[in-house]
Amino acid sequence: MSRDTRTDGGVQGEPELKRGPFQRWVASTIKEPQKAYRAMFYVATIFFLATTLFPFYFLLVLALTPENAPLALFPTAPRFEVFLDVFDRVNFLRYMFNSLVLALSTTAVVLLLASLAGYVFGRLQFPGRTPLMLLILAISYFPPAAFFLPLYQLFTGNVVPGLSLYNTPGSMILPFSSLFMPLSIFILTTFYGQIPDGLEDAARVEGTTRLGALFRVIIPLSAPGVATAGVLTFISVYNEFFFSQLMNNGQPANWAPIVGGLLSLQRAGQFQVTYGVMAAGSIIAVVPVAILVVVAQERIVSGLTAGALKE
Amino acid sequence: MSTEQETGDLSGGTRTGAYASAVRWMENLSETQYAYLLLSPAMLLLAVIAFWPLLSTLRLSLFADSFAAASVGQFVGLDNYVAIITGQRTALLPSPFLPQALTVQALFNSALAVTILFTVISVSFETVIGFVQALILDQDFRGRRWVRVAIILPWAIPIVVQGMIFFLMFQPNIGFLVGTAEDPALLNQLGLLSVTPLANAQDATMIVIVADVWKTTAFMALLILAGMQSIDRSLYDVARVSGASPWQRFKLITLPIILPTVLVAMLFRTIQAMRIYGLIETVAGCTTVPSLSCLVVTTFNQRLLGSSATIAFITAAVIGVVVSIYIVGYARGEMA
Repeated sequence: MSRDTRTDGGVQGEPELKRGPFQRWVASTIKEPQKAYRAMFYVATIFFLATTLFPFYFLLVLALTPENAPLALFPTAPRFEVFLDVFDRVNFLRYMFNSLVLALSTTAVVLLLASLAGYVFGRLQFPGRTPLMLLILAISYFPPAAFFLPLYQLFTGNVVPGLSLYNTPGSMILPFSSLFMPLSIFILTTFYGQIPDGLEDAARVEGTTRLGALFRVIIPLSAPGVATAGVLTFISVYNEFFFSQLMNNGQPANWAPIVGGLLSLQRAGQFQVTYGVMAAGSIIAVVPVAILVVVAQERIVSGLTAGALKE
Repeated sequence: MSTEQETGDLSGGTRTGAYASAVRWMENLSETQYAYLLLSPAMLLLAVIAFWPLLSTLRLSLFADSFAAASVGQFVGLDNYVAIITGQRTALLPSPFLPQALTVQALFNSALAVTILFTVISVSFETVIGFVQALILDQDFRGRRWVRVAIILPWAIPIVVQGMIFFLMFQPNIGFLVGTAEDPALLNQLGLLSVTPLANAQDATMIVIVADVWKTTAFMALLILAGMQSIDRSLYDVARVSGASPWQRFKLITLPIILPTVLVAMLFRTIQAMRIYGLIETVAGCTTVPSLSCLVVTTFNQRLLGSSATIAFITAAVIGVVVSIYIVGYARGEMA
């Protein structure tokens, strides 16, 4: 057993047992390490592309394959009508509409409230600033389950008589807003804090009101930050499961989002609804966020990293 | 600060009286008063929808279960906590909180054990794979933008779709990963999966872990990538000139600098993983894989309000413990 001493002083302790083409390849790459790193890079990239995209391809193949036909890598007789079947089975259009309305209205509420809060935390000095920020941060540590019981009782009218939000958009928009607002507050605090004081002062000297300076100077100048917070809030709400499922009875007329639609397809059982229809419904549900990812990927990346590395 | 000047008259000239007086009132507030005024809408929302429910959950957890109505029985103090942690309540709960025995079976039936198992395994895999993905995205190559889109895409899809994908993939009737008893698929023959994996606690937990790693590794990769890109590139030039190999450059420069970022990313993922609910509900159902959040909902569905609130609070406490472990570890790392 030989112990090769490397030029950098390290010791290579592995016994050399295998000989053959692999051995020769190893020998050549030791002389030219760049080649090995390049090869590793391509293998890893292709591996990750395959693993992340394969499940989507599986959904597509499953949707297009006619009932009772075996799955093939390329379906021979694709059946595109399956996408129409989804809309026949359940009121999928309404579920999608509900999801988009919930996501857009939550985003509007969050952007307005988080803009005011982000302005305060980013640009004003006042007693209690740090404790208040920590308090808001603390919310993100709690699981949705810890808020659920009292909110359910509140929204079903068991706390304040006559106030029943269950099965209405409010029962979801309110929890979504408070759950996802902290992230937007932190993103906007960072962006608003970076605007030079001089610009705000100039607007104030020109006679703009305090709020006017926020809405006409600070927010327009931080447009990328606002877009980032908006895109992340929209995606979070569209993807949310917990309150989306538990704050309505799953009926499209009662503002159930796509969680309700897909679960009702799944629970109808395979004799009522084929697996192909479930797969097609899932593909339709992914389309809005997939477009958003392609269009706004820079915003998503900067938002996620800014929000998380803030602490 | 110029924000305390009185300028309301300039813009208020043509407006109605009420608007002008509101503007003037706002202009004359001190900076502290103005700060609290702007914070009030956000704080009001958080007070009603976050702080009140938290305190209310804590209060509910101190009352006994009442089977009759949608409310709780009499005040029992910490009895619920004692009963759940010692296992006296197990017979009533849909799934036990702690493992009932030291067998694999019992481990996968216990809410606490399944949640911790899920969190530890999925977060470790996500960290390692996310690291490799970040190394790839850190390179300059053609088509980088599209590789990044492909890696982010699973992160951006609804949880219910993620669950649907893995529910369908492991359906016995579809027969691509899972065969039947007569015609077993490769994974069955290797003994890795039973022929009804979604009804088997162990198999279903593993499938849920794979699904979670598939979806959320991107989050880890993006955070680690941000850490890598904040490294001063001239450090690498110095290392290259002094003859360091790429591996040495990685070990001596990249790794130590981004370690804090990796820890923060792991903390974030751990908090999220401990809340797992929707994925399980879609893939296998909460009775097969009883995570802590699942147990809160199933207990609630059985009208055990006091027990449900207690488990919700224990879940929050477990997350709190994990967060403080990370913070202590982080502080220790900073000092060293």
